[in-house]
Amino acid sequence: MLKCIGILLIAATILWIEVPPLLEKKYKKELLVFAILLAIAVGLSSITLGFGKSIPTPLDLLTFVFKPLNDVIAHLLK
Amino acid sequence: MMKDVKINSYQFLVLVTLFTIGSSILLVPSGLAQNAKQDAWIAAIFGTGIGLLIIWLFCTIAQWFPHLTFIEINNKLFGKWIGTIFSLLFVSISFLYTSTLLAHSGTFLNIHMLPSTPMVALNILMGMIIVMGVRLGLETIARSAEILIVVFFFLFLILVVFISPEIKFENIQPVYEAGTKKIIQSSLNFVVYSSVNAVILLMIFPAFINRTKQGKKSFLIGNLIGGIVIIIITFLCVAVLGAENTTRQIYPGYELAKRINVGDFVQRIEALMATLWIIALYFKVTLYFYASVLGIAQILNLKDYRPLTIPLGMITIALSLVIYPNVIYQKNWDSTTLVSYSLLIGLFLPLLLVVIYALRKNQFKKEA
Repeated sequence: MLKCIGILLIAATILWIEVPPLLEKKYKKELLVFAILLAIAVGLSSITLGFGKSIPTPLDLLTFVFKPLNDVIAHLLK
Repeated sequence: MMKDVKINSYQFLVLVTLFTIGSSILLVPSGLAQNAKQDAWIAAIFGTGIGLLIIWLFCTIAQWFPHLTFIEINNKLFGKWIGTIFSLLFVSISFLYTSTLLAHSGTFLNIHMLPSTPMVALNILMGMIIVMGVRLGLETIARSAEILIVVFFFLFLILVVFISPEIKFENIQPVYEAGTKKIIQSSLNFVVYSSVNAVILLMIFPAFINRTKQGKKSFLIGNLIGGIVIIIITFLCVAVLGAENTTRQIYPGYELAKRINVGDFVQRIEALMATLWIIALYFKVTLYFYASVLGIAQILNLKDYRPLTIPLGMITIALSLVIYPNVIYQKNWDSTTLVSYSLLIGLFLPLLLVVIYALRKNQFKKEA
């Protein structure tokens, strides 16, 4: 729980640093992308660090997708 | 805001050299020695040769569009929708490799130097300087590379000179036992690490270099210098440690530095030598991260990429903790899926670009 609060504090600091210049320049799209990415970042780090749960690695998905190509390359290298 | 950054061709050469050396200096020797045994160094020579051909392909593409980054080339050649799909694939590769390399650096430091520090602390430290570098921009990265490459080659020279008394030529005999076919096969992993992954340098090469023609030359020369460094390291690993021992180590280059012993006085200087890999690894990760951040900004048509750096850095650090569950998984993944993933984006996509360009050549000539 303490770690989650820490992560939220870090996120608040990042918001405090990044948002005012963006508002000043009226970069609306940048602000939206920034907010979405920060939300993903806070979510991911509180799952992995805060609650200590492990999420499946994205590499498993890639292995699943690239299985045929892997087999072809392995066959060529024999 | 994004376009007025320019680096000169020498700075680009330094960046390419450090990118080529990058993680290869730590990981490649054991991969090469796995199949080619004592001929690993010959495999490294073959790998550098094949790598130069691939770099030449990238240079050719870059010359056609001297003012565009890879994302913009994609958009121009394939049209908006298909181009965006390819660009997303391209960004995915650079983003995932940022995490994997961060995981590599964390694991390396955790195993060898700071065993009781949690890996997340090491990753955050490394991630912070990467985010800092990318926020300050390409020029800053290039200038710091210019300074640090001197340190790099100084330490590299010390390593080579001090380890040379330990070379046992029995370890590399009989020469060329593995045969041409096996040597080329085992060089595949090295080619992928150092040259095929250099596709991400197309994000900076034509667009941010002040002279394209000299930039092409420094792309090739930088790759060659990096390749020579890897050849020397592989040769030393095999000649000092022996082929069997090199294969068994996760980081044979580090084991090499441990063997340094000059007159029972200069010994155990491997911590100093670790500076070598940290410098090279840092620039490789930074270039990957720069490519992914700039790529996302250009896909979404943003005016500035800097706001994205910190959130993306946080995601990278969180991913780097879970991306490799263990070392066995990493070794297995690196030798199978990484190869096909990199080949798809680093080789087949550029080849497809060449084909499409050849078909639509007249159209572009008219526009220009």
